[in-house]
Amino acid sequence: MSRAPTAAFRPAAAALLAALVCTVPPTAPATAGDPWSERELGERLDIEALDLSRPDHRDALIARGEHLFSAKFTTLDGAGRPMATQAIVPTKRKRPVADAFQRMAGPDANACASCHMDPVPGGAGPFTANAFVTEGFESADFDSLDPQFSNERGTNHVFGSGLIELLAREMTADLQAQRRAALNEARRTGEPVRADLATKGVSFGRLTALPDGMVDLTGLDGVDTDLVLRPFSQKGVMTSLRQFTVNAMNHHHGMQADERFGARWTGEADFDEDGVAGELTDADITALVIWQATRPPPGRRTGLAPDWQAMAERGETLFAETGCASCHIPALPLDSAVFADPSPYDMAGTLRAGERDVLSLDISAGLARDAQGRLLVPLFGDLKRHRIADERRDTLGNELLSQRFVDRDVFQTAELWGVASTAPYGHRGDLTTLDEAIRAHAGAATESRARYEALEDNEREAIIAFLKTLVIAP
Amino acid sequence: MMARLHSSPARPGRQQRTQVSGRRAGTQRDDTPKAQYSFAEDATPLWAPDQVLGVDCGGVKGSAPFMALAIAATLAAGIPPAVADEPSIEITADIPNLHEEATSAGIDHVYGGPWEYFVGGGVAAFDCNADGRPDLFFAGGKNPATLYENRSPTGGALRFERKAIGIDDTDLRSVTGAWPVDIDGDGRLDLALSRVGRNLLLKGGPDCSFALANRAWDFAGGRAWTTGFAATWEDGADYPTLAFGNYVDRSAPGSPWGTCHENDLYRPVDGNLSYGDRTPLSPGFCSLSLMFTDWSNRGAPALRITNDRHYYRGGQEQLWRLEPGRPPRLYSASDGWRPLKIWGMGIATGDVDGDNYPEYALTSMGDTRIQSLDPDADEGRPTYTDIALEVGATAHRPYTGDEIRPSTGWHAEFDDVNNDGLTDLFIAKGNVEAMPDFAEFDPDNLLIGGWDGRFREAGDKAGIALDRKGRGAVLADLNLDGMLDLVVVNREAPVSVFRNPGVGTADEPRPMGNFLALKLSQPGGNGFAVGSRVTVKIGTRVLTRDITVGGGHASGELGWLHFGLGTSERAEVRVRWPDGEWSHAYRVFANQFAVIERGEPAAAYWYPADEPDRAAQRNTAADQ
Repeated sequence: MSRAPTAAFRPAAAALLAALVCTVPPTAPATAGDPWSERELGERLDIEALDLSRPDHRDALIARGEHLFSAKFTTLDGAGRPMATQAIVPTKRKRPVADAFQRMAGPDANACASCHMDPVPGGAGPFTANAFVTEGFESADFDSLDPQFSNERGTNHVFGSGLIELLAREMTADLQAQRRAALNEARRTGEPVRADLATKGVSFGRLTALPDGMVDLTGLDGVDTDLVLRPFSQKGVMTSLRQFTVNAMNHHHGMQADERFGARWTGEADFDEDGVAGELTDADITALVIWQATRPPPGRRTGLAPDWQAMAERGETLFAETGCASCHIPALPLDSAVFADPSPYDMAGTLRAGERDVLSLDISAGLARDAQGRLLVPLFGDLKRHRIADERRDTLGNELLSQRFVDRDVFQTAELWGVASTAPYGHRGDLTTLDEAIRAHAGAATESRARYEALEDNEREAIIAFLKTLVIAP
Repeated sequence: MMARLHSSPARPGRQQRTQVSGRRAGTQRDDTPKAQYSFAEDATPLWAPDQVLGVDCGGVKGSAPFMALAIAATLAAGIPPAVADEPSIEITADIPNLHEEATSAGIDHVYGGPWEYFVGGGVAAFDCNADGRPDLFFAGGKNPATLYENRSPTGGALRFERKAIGIDDTDLRSVTGAWPVDIDGDGRLDLALSRVGRNLLLKGGPDCSFALANRAWDFAGGRAWTTGFAATWEDGADYPTLAFGNYVDRSAPGSPWGTCHENDLYRPVDGNLSYGDRTPLSPGFCSLSLMFTDWSNRGAPALRITNDRHYYRGGQEQLWRLEPGRPPRLYSASDGWRPLKIWGMGIATGDVDGDNYPEYALTSMGDTRIQSLDPDADEGRPTYTDIALEVGATAHRPYTGDEIRPSTGWHAEFDDVNNDGLTDLFIAKGNVEAMPDFAEFDPDNLLIGGWDGRFREAGDKAGIALDRKGRGAVLADLNLDGMLDLVVVNREAPVSVFRNPGVGTADEPRPMGNFLALKLSQPGGNGFAVGSRVTVKIGTRVLTRDITVGGGHASGELGWLHFGLGTSERAEVRVRWPDGEWSHAYRVFANQFAVIERGEPAAAYWYPADEPDRAAQRNTAADQ
């Protein structure tokens, strides 16, 4: 089990870092090692020398990731992207922008932790930390809050994100195996085969496999047509922590990872033309990924007063009875808690399995197991996308732009673990109470919401009392 | 959009191949400027990165990301990096490690014969048994043509099985070229065979069976020396218009000098499946390749013919205007057509400069031409200018070995062999036979397209610089792993079959960029949608390909249309169907085989029978 290094670990980790480090050559008067240096990147790890079966190496990697997550990147590090847009595919601007920072189109921050900080680094963000999401192709440089130009999104926390990615990988494997089985059956029998797609108790609609190898995907529900679960971002459209990290580093900080923006894919070493090449290496991204993946899962508040305890227990029962738990599933079972980087499901532009030796470590974090020995991940979610707004109630459908083939009123079920630590709520972070957030549910959640509204006052209060026990561990 | 490249000319390095240009006495050339390369000697690198930068990272593999960092950092500081044992920094994109495996794949075929078979030598790639894998049909010249069924496992080593196809041995000999095309509109691909003598149309049946259909379709076949074929569906037609490109007329007095056969056009008689009416395309100028192409984006196919100046008198390249129901008419100087005289061997088409108009690669002896619409000419006029020098694709001389004599180019094909989203250019090369003024060791080219719009040679690094006389060829994904493999027919030498394992090895393939393979389908006679224009939008860029039958050198392909997508994970595809109607945008994910059926709201995906299990890879990785 890995946790963020405490103060006791840090000196050891630092010494270990020194052993693992490749010194970066100086190209400016202050060297990277000088204490007054304005470079934040610090000393890079030698990824080839890492052996994650050693606790000290693991701690060093995690310490490095923590450093990078909180580092306030500077222009000396390569922060800023004067000639590149926020798009996740390397895209040049037509002309350089006037401002190094721009609240809407970005770069809008120089540290991950400046937004992901509530209650601790790696946490969520308040309304003030909202991000503005667009494709970054046409109209990349907008300076308006108008939802025509971007989707305004609250900052999510990353605790338990490694477990979420592992769940998504297993569910993807399940769905693709079901597709394969249906195709094999169709080829064998010469007849079309209809297959219901479900994994870990979550249904994703159905497909029809034809004997010639074609697949009819019109019956899919809540997942992309290639049957890859993409559990990150509010809409559930990003595949992995690694892909998301590379995206976000460029979007928010203008820090460009070689594996996406390097010469292999762009023909240039300094794609954003900020005068710094090779801003983020494989080792840097790996450290960030492993740090995020090892953030412990949120849990339950302990030491509750007896009246709160009673209310919460009642609320948890009602949470299931009203149907909330049908999408906000209390726990999903995980077969293996070994987090491997790179992921088998990333595509070119993010480091892929086979492009480097796999690094893996156990992130089971002391979670409970079910009767079959599977780890129970208490995410209160289903990693599935649902329509959450309709004409009568469109609070949660307040966006105008679809994102990566997903309609504007369709979102992935928000994981509720940690919800009590990360007010405000909603994908725009503009709902100040849990009650408001629940009442905003519509579309596929209409019946459950109606049942909630029909409850007695104290019953609704009990549900809130229960939700208020779901915290990010202190 | 000019991308800045971190390469500059005349950089010392072992991989740099540059040659001194010069005009060889007695060589007839056009007036276009010649390639002028600076001459860089092989030089010992001035320093190794770890010496100048104080980097000591230990481990061989570990140096790679740091090398990139080191090179990048020194570039930022303005110091040129050493490139001691590192690959040339001119090509930063992936170069596939093509692996020749014809023997282990079970393909044993030679194209050969006397003088008539100095030219020709084609291969057709198409799926004749409905398993989704392209099968291969080889012309043999004096040897019988052969068909090989594709049994390659998905992502695995190539495997083929020869199959007898029930055609007379006499008819299978003297074949110079082959093209797949669905002539009778039954949804199964047929074959058009060019021959020295009677050309043949073979009707495709189930399980790669074929039957001679000349009689059934009233096709006489002629008696000419033919190496070119093209087909298109003219407006509203159920059946295709066929064109055959004929070379020298051996029976004319004074042959072969100045005695070119006219070319043949066959339009369906009264709209029926009958080719009894031959329209001569005269004058013929000893054509070796022809192609129907919508050069003006107006949806109307014209017929471009490339001709061999070695034998014609007063000839040139040709473009025929084709209007349904009217006799074909040559574009002339008054239409804006510029006379061009080359030793025309093959035609490839692709959008090289991204302006949405097709360019044409014309192979020849010496310089390859890349014909692009002249931006200074009036719109709507077929006025072409040569941009081969500008884009670095003249490929006029062997890029490796001691030869300074010029090359002889044959098949050409634009396609994305490294899946980076930029089109590359393959050219088959080989001496005609023993022409003393031309290179004897003349390896095939693989020109990798770059972000600056230039092509750079990678044939040697890709492993295709064999000492064989290349003629026809095809780039096709034979093992359905999303990476284009290469098949080259060689004169009097075995066929070369190169598997593309990406940037890995034959034993451990490693993928390159993302890809998309597309198939179109529409109701009616032209079920394979020949004549469609397909646009694939990735981010701010649009990739354009036309579905054609014809061109190349004696070779043809109809099957999955391949696109490299680089780092894009999704794409929006729009189709301009042959009748000019545009489809809506189809959303597809990368790394899929997608089928777009006209009128359907969404694309459907296809999977091979032995689709690999990514979860198995995950489990193996996690156990490490």
